[in-house]
Amino acid sequence: MHTYFHVDMDAFFVSVEELYDPSLRGKPVVVGGRPNERGVVAAASYAARRFGVHSAMPLRTAYKLCPQATFVDGHPQRYREYSGRVHEVLQAFSPLVEMASIDEAYLDLSGTERLYGPPLRAAHILHQRMKAATGLNCSIGIASSRLVAKISSDQAKPNGVLWVVPGREAAFLAPLDVRKVPGVGKVTEKNLHALGIRKVGDLARLDDAFLEERFGKWGLALAGKSRGEDAGGWFDTEIGAGEGPKSISHEHTFMEDTSDVAQLEATLSKLSEMVGRRLREQHLEARTLQLKLRYTDFSTITRAHSLGRGTQLDTEIFEEIRALFRRNWRPGAAVRLLGVHASGWAEGEEQMDLLGEERHERWKQALAAADRLRDRYGDSAVSLAASLRGGFRERTHENPAGLPGKKPAREPENT
Amino acid sequence: MEFTVSRSDLVRELSLSQGVVEKKTTIPILSNVLLEASGDHVALTATDLELGISCTCPARVRKEGAGTLPARKLLDYVRLLPEGDVQMKFLDNHWASITCGRSRTRIAGMSRESFPELPQMPEPIATLPMRLLASMISRTSFAISMEESRFTLNGALLVMRPDALTMVATDGHRLAYVQAGGPAAPPSGGPVAVPAGAVEIGEISQAFRALIPKKAMLEIVKLAESAESDTRGHFAGDDNHLFFQVGPRLLITRKLTGNFPDYERVLPKDHIHIAKLQKDEIKSAIERVSQFADERSRAIRVQFSNGEVKVFSSSVESGDSEESVTSEYQGPDLEIGFNAQYLLDFLRAIPQDRVAFELKDQKSAGEMRPFGESIPDQYRYVVMPMRI
Repeated sequence: MHTYFHVDMDAFFVSVEELYDPSLRGKPVVVGGRPNERGVVAAASYAARRFGVHSAMPLRTAYKLCPQATFVDGHPQRYREYSGRVHEVLQAFSPLVEMASIDEAYLDLSGTERLYGPPLRAAHILHQRMKAATGLNCSIGIASSRLVAKISSDQAKPNGVLWVVPGREAAFLAPLDVRKVPGVGKVTEKNLHALGIRKVGDLARLDDAFLEERFGKWGLALAGKSRGEDAGGWFDTEIGAGEGPKSISHEHTFMEDTSDVAQLEATLSKLSEMVGRRLREQHLEARTLQLKLRYTDFSTITRAHSLGRGTQLDTEIFEEIRALFRRNWRPGAAVRLLGVHASGWAEGEEQMDLLGEERHERWKQALAAADRLRDRYGDSAVSLAASLRGGFRERTHENPAGLPGKKPAREPENT
Repeated sequence: MEFTVSRSDLVRELSLSQGVVEKKTTIPILSNVLLEASGDHVALTATDLELGISCTCPARVRKEGAGTLPARKLLDYVRLLPEGDVQMKFLDNHWASITCGRSRTRIAGMSRESFPELPQMPEPIATLPMRLLASMISRTSFAISMEESRFTLNGALLVMRPDALTMVATDGHRLAYVQAGGPAAPPSGGPVAVPAGAVEIGEISQAFRALIPKKAMLEIVKLAESAESDTRGHFAGDDNHLFFQVGPRLLITRKLTGNFPDYERVLPKDHIHIAKLQKDEIKSAIERVSQFADERSRAIRVQFSNGEVKVFSSSVESGDSEESVTSEYQGPDLEIGFNAQYLLDFLRAIPQDRVAFELKDQKSAGEMRPFGESIPDQYRYVVMPMRI
């Protein structure tokens, strides 16, 4: 029997902003941009949430719901820094930590009773340490599966602890809306409602075979989840198995749709640099690069190219991405969003290049130097000339695509 | 149009057009072969717009004219006919009737109006021995990039000078270089000097440089194989095309555009260490050991030590394997990773019994070349290691 903690930072972005500007405390705050800007809410304070504002909502909608809110720009660098501090606190608390996103983590606390005592006492200690080290509040869900731990941390918010005693998982889940189950989004919810299934308990009463027939493999996972099991892919690996990210990507939504080639390519250059920097931070080399392109009418294409060898160099990423863009963009069509996505980490033997090796090495050294400058003076300290026209504020989302989401109710849009 | 040809002539010439006709039928007329009867022959022409070939068959022409027929279907059918005369008569609706012995067929064709016009061959600038050209192609074409996006690497560079003929191909990981004629200039430490004029390169009237697409190279080899061994071909080029005239057959290809990499910079100037090997020994060793190399990377490790070269592989899925061969090698112990396929490509392309493998270190390109007496031209194969 495992004992899992799901530690979820309370209103993470907003709380970090409050540390920098204490006057925001207790007020309705919306992080993500100006109210008249395009883009979506990255995070909302609890006071703002009372007006119906929630993350992923368009900023303009948020403004209509809560015009008195303070709208602040996101500071991704601050969040990453605090996320790092949170990680340190957790790492010191238990060696088995898996950051599920920038502001939440799973911990395996099995067998720590001698160290921390029973689960609630351990959670209390963790709460205090977190507050002392970061100034931030978190909520902790405790259960025998990660799934239930995650759902219970949501129920414990804010700044609370909820322990679902082993054996009581199904009873705990039964009265909750199906939407609370991680992985159930708008579409699945609608399909379930159509079958008259509204609560997790309704789901648990169904036959596995029926769900499998109805929803395939995913239906089986759903059946497992309704009983509180870690079913369905997300939790396949044990905590601490050292997975690392599966992909790294950055996207940008333009303030105004544009068909200006120079601006589009400059933006791709900038995005390539951001992806390259994170690849180097993580010591990863990507073999597959993907372009994402969304037109004004929201029609979206993704086009990928696999390289003969892995890369983590901005220039090489940009070259590939630009080639994909030139091949696939409908010339003259206005673009709403661009994204650069890297995956397929290179490992083991890598074929070296006959022609580009020297250039590759020189760029590697140049970018290592650029990274040191950015570490000291900030991300905009140095950039490729091609990116100069592509300057924009990086926006972050608390819930990166591809990971078990923070809000069980929300499906990552691009998976 | 109406004419009679011998079945074997027709099969032979039609076969040459098969590599050229468009496989994908995006433009239907390009799947067809153009037949033009006049005087005492019928001319056959095929093209995919990149590459074109025209050949002729002796024929008894009853009525001159032109028409097009599906190349694949025509060859498949004619091949099955018994040896003898084949009579072809084109009808008004672009169909043709084919009569041979007791066999009668009508085959659906298309108007010749929509068949593209091939460019005219300008004055030849060189006369080249076809066998040499084919041998240079078979020693370089495997190193051409398969990656379509690297279009300047989708062919080989042909460099002509009055005294030398050079062909170079690379995919960015390895490079194959053959030079016939020219000054004997192997790098210092090279195993053997090639005497100038050891190989007959034909007549080249002016310096010329062009990129030949891979598909055209393979057709040139076919032309060489279907001609007498001492046949010479005439070569010409205009701004966009290259022309190879071999007897009555003419191959026309579009040039690849773009800048071929500066290959001279890639050819190592000096090698510090040389391992001399028996080709068959090292080839067999690599063939066996590479069965246990990672399937994607094809990586093997090659260990050079005093008097011995050892190759080994291991993969988590399939197992591991090692083998050693004796070698004249006096350098320091070195272990270098290579793509086994790259090494085998070279070892399979040379007729000679011995090879020299020249090295510097783990991160620098290695070079392989045939080694021994009476090597007629300069063949150098440069291969970049794998990071292991």
